[in-house]
Amino acid sequence: MSAFFRLLARNRLALWGGIVLVLVVFLALITPLLPLADPDVTDTANRFLPPFSEGAFLGTDHLGRDLLSRLMWGTRLSLAVGFSAAVAAATIGAAIGIVAGFYGGRTDNVIMRGVDMLMAFPYILLALAIVAALGPGLMNALIAVAAVNVPFFARNIRGITVGIAHKEFVDAARLAGMGNGRIILTEILPNVVPVIVIAMSTTIGWMILETAGLSFLGLGSQPPQADLGSMLGEARSALITNPHTSVVPGVMILVIVMSINLLGDGVRDALDPRLKSGALSRPMPATLVDRRSVPEAGKGDGILALQDLETQFHVKDRVYKAVGGVSLTVHPGECLGIIGESGSGKSVTALSVMSLVASPPGVITGGAVRYKGEDLIGAPYAKLRSLRGDRVAYIFQDPLATLHPLYKVGDQLVEAIGCHHDVSSAEARSRAIDLLKSVRIPNAESRVDSYPHEMSGGMRQRVGIAMALANEPDVIIADEPTTALDVTVQAQILALLDDLRKARGLAIVFITHDFGVVAQLCDRVAVMYAGRIVEEGPTGAVLATPAHPYTKRLIACVPELGEGRRELAAIPGLPPVVDKLPEGCAFAERCHKARNDCRRGNIPLEGPAEEARRVRCLYPENERMAEAVSS
Amino acid sequence: MTGYILKRLLSAIPVLFGITVIVFLIMALIPGDPATAILGSYATPENVEKLNRDLGLDKPLVAQYFIWLGNMLQGDFGQSFALNRPVIDEVLERFNATLILAGTAFVLCSVFGILAGVVSAAKQYGLADKGITFAVLLGISIPSFFLGMMMILIFGVNLRWLPVSGMYAIYGGGDLPDLISHLIMPALALAVVATGVVARLSRSAMLEVLRQDFIRTARAKGVSERGVIWRHALKAAMVSIIPVLGIQAGFVLSGAVYIEMVFQWPGVGRMLVDAILKRDILLVQGGVVFVAACYVLFNILVDVAQSLLDPRIKT
Repeated sequence: MSAFFRLLARNRLALWGGIVLVLVVFLALITPLLPLADPDVTDTANRFLPPFSEGAFLGTDHLGRDLLSRLMWGTRLSLAVGFSAAVAAATIGAAIGIVAGFYGGRTDNVIMRGVDMLMAFPYILLALAIVAALGPGLMNALIAVAAVNVPFFARNIRGITVGIAHKEFVDAARLAGMGNGRIILTEILPNVVPVIVIAMSTTIGWMILETAGLSFLGLGSQPPQADLGSMLGEARSALITNPHTSVVPGVMILVIVMSINLLGDGVRDALDPRLKSGALSRPMPATLVDRRSVPEAGKGDGILALQDLETQFHVKDRVYKAVGGVSLTVHPGECLGIIGESGSGKSVTALSVMSLVASPPGVITGGAVRYKGEDLIGAPYAKLRSLRGDRVAYIFQDPLATLHPLYKVGDQLVEAIGCHHDVSSAEARSRAIDLLKSVRIPNAESRVDSYPHEMSGGMRQRVGIAMALANEPDVIIADEPTTALDVTVQAQILALLDDLRKARGLAIVFITHDFGVVAQLCDRVAVMYAGRIVEEGPTGAVLATPAHPYTKRLIACVPELGEGRRELAAIPGLPPVVDKLPEGCAFAERCHKARNDCRRGNIPLEGPAEEARRVRCLYPENERMAEAVSS
Repeated sequence: MTGYILKRLLSAIPVLFGITVIVFLIMALIPGDPATAILGSYATPENVEKLNRDLGLDKPLVAQYFIWLGNMLQGDFGQSFALNRPVIDEVLERFNATLILAGTAFVLCSVFGILAGVVSAAKQYGLADKGITFAVLLGISIPSFFLGMMMILIFGVNLRWLPVSGMYAIYGGGDLPDLISHLIMPALALAVVATGVVARLSRSAMLEVLRQDFIRTARAKGVSERGVIWRHALKAAMVSIIPVLGIQAGFVLSGAVYIEMVFQWPGVGRMLVDAILKRDILLVQGGVVFVAACYVLFNILVDVAQSLLDPRIKT
């Protein structure tokens, strides 16, 4: 609760709204005690006195009544009516909603049909109909405004109640022999009250506006009694000659409603957990870059080279080091595997290549990504965009989420081509069909007009691959493209990628958590743990004689043919949280070989000079590596 | 698609039916003798008896309802005693004026609301976003009738740019430019609140969509930022914006009552307020049923638009 108020107070606009509202409510409450003129005493000799006249601070109205006094009494009335309407609507609406949600079945059906009917009305119209039947008057206006807002509350509260009615504690209460009435009062109600309060805070401003509106039309408060709306209504005939009589009540309504809205927004934001983490921030076109220095260009042998890449997530005061200095190289026609548990930083590494890490909160804080020797980190957006999808393309996991749901797959392929090539639409379409054929989608001519949701998971993944191939890129970065697929489809997709690599000389960076996949496809493999590479080398050598204890344990997790499928979680313990990385080896906590010196200093990634293998371990599992490391 | 429209039309029948029941029940709330309430306290006993017979008020409630419904289905909404003409004629004439006003306001709030929401989301936390957010807050907090009065004061009286009341000039008016010059202020005043609501929702819908994976895919393809925002994100965000547009249509349609009073616009809203004050119950009844029915039909259009946008909706 105190955290809630702190969040609320931090929101400066909400704070101001709250202060103004409290002030207005306070003044309205003490109005009878203030030394104000009688609001209803007419004085025709002093009609339309301008503001700041003697004896009438805000002037007088068309009957010579003191405007300040009328304003305060009117505010009091408007607030009281608006608040009563909100309480009435909330109480009745919540009662209906709880009954419908709790009893369900036919009761629910009948009630909610009725609510739907009421909601089918444009609702000021419904309020007018109710006032028409009851006759003009403030009480009737209040009833009308409350009545038209009941369905809103009923529907909201019903939704919440349905969720609660089947929770364990309600079942427990039922088994304990509690009656329905008692369950509603003791178990359901306390849980829906916060929702009712939030719904009220967002609607009370409306209700004040609506009652003021009915009064403005002459259907609410009747003379001489006046709320803010009827003050405005009465002043309308003198709008041109004496605008101050209109401005005074009008501005007051604006101030009240605006302060309520500000406060209401603040309350909602403070209660919405998604806003707390800043997750609702919109990702920028390219990841933020904040580098101290740029590494020198290396020997420049690979088509794509990552040098000491560091990517972090900055959330509030915390810094998550998702990628902590990763260096990798991939050559044309080569397939490099990056393997690790989820959260090891492999996907973030991949996304950093083309600055696709969502930012905020992502920031690239060091290193370089060189495509044909040219650094892409911090490159101008236009340069990045010209390479994205054209020279370096991505295949993502879960194509249902990664393809646009509202465009035909053909159009999405056509767009991928059109981004980088000026082609006619007919040409692009036939090229799209060819692409679909090249990834072995049957009936490509008709499939081109399908929407993603009309295809199977395997077909969608093929579309994702076709899209990556659209511009014949030099490098494809595949981020767990087969994880969501079943085994036979997975095998087909892998075979397809392998064929394409051989036929087109593609460089592939393949990210996975599955050693079986690595063995099938990759020439070399890099093992990631807690944002760093812990072992790297030719796939065969690493699989046969793993050097890092982590790699060895990972490989031990791969099921043998005929055995059950075991998961990587078979390694006891969890990877470290990357905002509090331990010193030394990040795996030490889970490693049975760990000694004291494993928990000190920076352990380098090294290996024998004559071999392309390196390991980040002081006590490697294989002897040749151990020799190289200790020398 | 035709099948879908037919299906939606059929499903509107019970809703329309429900609307007539609700209006009928509300009118049954009228305290005292309805015939006296309808005809006023100066009605002669013969008139009261005739009306009772016409409305079937001597029959049970259910029978009364079906007589009323049956008459309405034949286009007979009864006779307005204050205007002494058939309700349906008056309603149709007035509804035309309301439709022009509310329709214009609806177009304004849709276009500017979505535009403001998209710009606001695209420039999140930037100057444009802050400016729009503040303007939106002001817009949804200001009573439209007060805004209309201030517009009259500033643009009508002080600057003399625009006419302050009515739909056409009394002398020599009647053409389209005349209508437009009369329409500008009321339509803007009516659109402001709805624009604010649409802008607010569009902004949050856009922010929600911009975090989705398919936006990252678009960026990875090399789609320009403009394409990402307007082609990819906005299209997906429209799925949640369109239902809100439907709600706002109801808001401008019924909220027009305030604006019609302020600007002396000869629409249904003003007719209803006059009828309520004169206790011209049949006119109120007919007007409310007619406008509500039009709104239900409009919502079918909204559903059809939604199904055209989103292929995942089964048609």
